[in-house]
Amino acid sequence: MGLLPAFVAIPLLTALVLNIVEQKSWYTHILALSSSIFLAVLSFFTPQTHGIYYVGGFGPHIGINMMIDPLNRLILIVVQVIVMLACWYSVGYMEHYTSKSRFYAFVFLMLAGMNGIILTADFFNFYVFMEIATLASYVLVSYGGRSYELEASFKYMILGSISSLFMLLGIALIYSQTAALNMMVAAERIDPAHPVTFLIIVLFLAGLGLKSAIFPFHSWLPDAHSSAPAPISAILSGVLIKAVGIYVMLRFVFNFIGSENAPLTMLAWLGVIGAFVGVVLALGQKDLKRLLACSSVSQVGYIFIGIGLGTPLGLAGALLHLISHSASKSLLFFSAGSIEYSANERNITLLGGLKKLMPWTHLGNFIGFSAIGGIPPLSGFWSKLLILLACVSAGQWLIGLLAALFAIMTLSLLPKIEKNVFTGDIPEHLKKTKESPSSMIIPMIVLSFFCLGIGLIYLVPSWNQNILTSAVEVLMDGRWLGAINNVP
Amino acid sequence: MIYTLCIILFLLGLYGVLVKRNIIKIIISLAMMNNAVNLFLILLAYRSNGVAPILDPGMDPSILLETSVDPLPQALVLTSVVIGLGVTALMVALAIRLYHAYGTFDITKIRKLKG
Amino acid sequence: MMVEIAIFFLLIFMIIGMLFVLEIENLLSAVVMMGAIGFGLSVIFLLLGAPDLAIVQIAVEVISVVILIRATIHRDIKERADESLSNISSIPLLVCIFFFFLMIYPALRLLPTFGEPVFLNFYSSSVYYLRDGFHLTGAPNIVSAIILDFRAYDTLGEAIVLFTSVIGALSILRYRNRKKEHNAS
Repeated sequence: MGLLPAFVAIPLLTALVLNIVEQKSWYTHILALSSSIFLAVLSFFTPQTHGIYYVGGFGPHIGINMMIDPLNRLILIVVQVIVMLACWYSVGYMEHYTSKSRFYAFVFLMLAGMNGIILTADFFNFYVFMEIATLASYVLVSYGGRSYELEASFKYMILGSISSLFMLLGIALIYSQTAALNMMVAAERIDPAHPVTFLIIVLFLAGLGLKSAIFPFHSWLPDAHSSAPAPISAILSGVLIKAVGIYVMLRFVFNFIGSENAPLTMLAWLGVIGAFVGVVLALGQKDLKRLLACSSVSQVGYIFIGIGLGTPLGLAGALLHLISHSASKSLLFFSAGSIEYSANERNITLLGGLKKLMPWTHLGNFIGFSAIGGIPPLSGFWSKLLILLACVSAGQWLIGLLAALFAIMTLSLLPKIEKNVFTGDIPEHLKKTKESPSSMIIPMIVLSFFCLGIGLIYLVPSWNQNILTSAVEVLMDGRWLGAINNVP
Repeated sequence: MIYTLCIILFLLGLYGVLVKRNIIKIIISLAMMNNAVNLFLILLAYRSNGVAPILDPGMDPSILLETSVDPLPQALVLTSVVIGLGVTALMVALAIRLYHAYGTFDITKIRKLKG
Repeated sequence: MMVEIAIFFLLIFMIIGMLFVLEIENLLSAVVMMGAIGFGLSVIFLLLGAPDLAIVQIAVEVISVVILIRATIHRDIKERADESLSNISSIPLLVCIFFFFLMIYPALRLLPTFGEPVFLNFYSSSVYYLRDGFHLTGAPNIVSAIILDFRAYDTLGEAIVLFTSVIGALSILRYRNRKKEHNAS
C-alpha cells in the first residue's frame, strides 16, 4: 500500500521542479518524459487486491485514507499510460508554443489531481483534488492564447466551477447526515430513503454529469476539447472526463448510494440521447478537432448506456468502452494534432490528399476511426458488442436497437474524413507538407497497437478475470456496508 | 429558516451565473455561491451557546467536548475559502485576457465559437 | 437565541446585497458590494464560533476585491443598459430555479436543527478531535490541529490549488503564446 502516495507525490514534485528549471532547456522534456514513464511502470506494480493506505497513520474515522481495488487500479493504469503517451507526443508538438516547461508543469498538476481523485476514499479530499485537476485543465485549454481558446476556457471554467460547487454542497449535506467524510463510513451511516439523500443524489448527479458531459450538460465539451493543444485534448477527452466524471459516478452510484436507489434507467436514456446528439453534431462539423470532441459526447453516451443497465455485462461493456475510447480518441486527437502541426489547418474542407504526404498520420487516423466506429478486430467493436449484448440480455431492446443504429452512424465518420482529408487532390497551400517528427508518430503507433489489442482484455479468460470481472465485482458488491471492518 | 436563507443565497448566485451577461458579475456570483456553501457548512457545525474550539491557558482540555462547536467543518471551510480565492484569481486573469481580445466584458459579444 | 437573530439579519443583509450586485449598472459598485457581503459573512463566522475562519475570510475578501478592482478599473465600468434581451431569457430560468427551490424545501426542513450539530450523535471524527486532539498534537487550537495534522493532506491540496492558480494566472497573462511563424490567425 505504500506505493499509493507516490502517485500524487511524484507528479507534484515533477511539477514543482519543472517550474524552476529554465524555460527553454532540453532537460524539461527529459524530466517530464522520464517521470511519466516511471509513473506508468509503477502503476502496473500496484497491488491487485483491496487495500487502504492511512495518510499520516490516521484510521478511517479520523484522518484521510487512500484506497485501491481492481476498479480504480484499472482507471489508474489507463490514466498513467495515456498521460505518458501525451507527454511523449508533446516533445514534438509543443515546439510551436512558448514556455514549454510550464506546460508540462500543468500536465503534471492535472495528473496529480486525477490520481488523487482516483485513489482517495474521502469526500472532501476528492473535492480538493478535483479542483487541482480542473484548474490545471482550464489553464491548459487556454494555453494557445488565441481569442476563441480563451473563450472556450472561460465557458468551461464557469460550468466546471458550478459543478464543483454543486458537489461541495452535496458533500456538506452528506456531512449533515452522517458526520463523516470518509466514503466508507458515510456509506454505512447514510439512510437512502431520507429526503436529504435524494437532494444529495440530485446534486451529485448534476455535478458529475456536468464534468462527464452527459447529454443535457454536453455543450461545453466541443468548445473546450477542440480548443486545447492536441495532447491536452487527448488527455481531456481520453482520461479527464473519465477520472473526474465517470469513475466518481460509478463509485457514487454503485458503492455509496446503492444502484437500487439511483435513477439508473434515466442515466441509460440520457446516454442514448447523448450518443445520438454527439454523432449528429459530429457529422455536421467541418473542424476536425471539433468533430472529434463531438464524437466524445457520443461515446460517453455509450458508456452511460452500459452504466445505466446496471447488470454485470453492461458494466463490463462500459468499462471496456471506457478503455477503448481512451485509446482510440487519444489516437484520433494525436493524428488531428499531427495534421494541424504539419499543415497548419484544421478545416476538413480545405484539406485533401494527405495520404501520400503523411502516411503514418493517415494510418493512425484510419485505425482510430475504425476503432471508434466498431470495425471487428478493433477495440470499439468488442466494447459496443458487449453493451449491445447487455441491452438485449437486460430486455432493453429499444435501447439496444438505437445504440446499434448510432454505432453505424459513428462508422460513417470514417469515409467522411478519408474522403475530405486523405484522398483527392492536394490543395496548393499544402504541397510542402511533411510528415510530423518521429516523437509524434511513435505514440500514435503505440496507441494503434492498443486499439488492436484491447479486445483481448475481454477475449483472454485470465485477463478478463483479472481486469474486467474483478472491477465489475467491486461495483456489483453494492454499498460499502461493513467495508471498513473487512479491510486489513 | 437560516438554512433556507443560506440556500436562497446559493440559488441567487446560480441565477446570476446563468443569466448575467457581464463577466465580472458572473465571477462575483460564483464567489457568492462559494460563500453560501461555506456558510452552510459552518451553520451545520454550530452548537447553541457554543464556544470556539480553542483552549485558553489553564482550561481543562476535556471541557471542549461539552461546550465547543464542531471543529471539522471549520477546517474544511478554511481549505475551501482558499480554493475559492484561487478560482476567482484565475477567472479574473482570463477575464483580463478576454477584455484584451474582444474589447468588452459582455458575454453575448464574446462569441467566435458557434454553439 | 440572540446569535440566531443576529445571523438572520446578517443573512438578510447579504441577500439584499446580492440582489443589489445583480441589478446595479456600475461594476465598481458591484465589486465593492461584494466586499461588503464578504465582511458580513466574516461577522457571521465570528458569531458562530469560528474566529480563525473570520480572519481568513477577511483576508481572502480583501484580496478578491483588489483583484476584481484591478480587472474593472479603467475598463467599461458601466454595464450596458439594454438588458432587455437578457431579461426575457431570464424569466424561465428564474421560474426553473424557483421550482427547484420548492422541490428541495421539504428536504431543507429535515436537516438537523440549527444549534444541535450532528457530530454528537455518532462516534465521529470531531468527537475524537475535541477529546484527544490537544493531548495528541499539543495545539490548543483544535482547528489548526486538524488542518495541520489530522487532515494535513487536504492542506497540501489547498496549497497546490493556490500554486496552480498563481502560475496559471501568470501563464494566462503571458501574451506571446506561440512562436512567431505560428502566431497568425
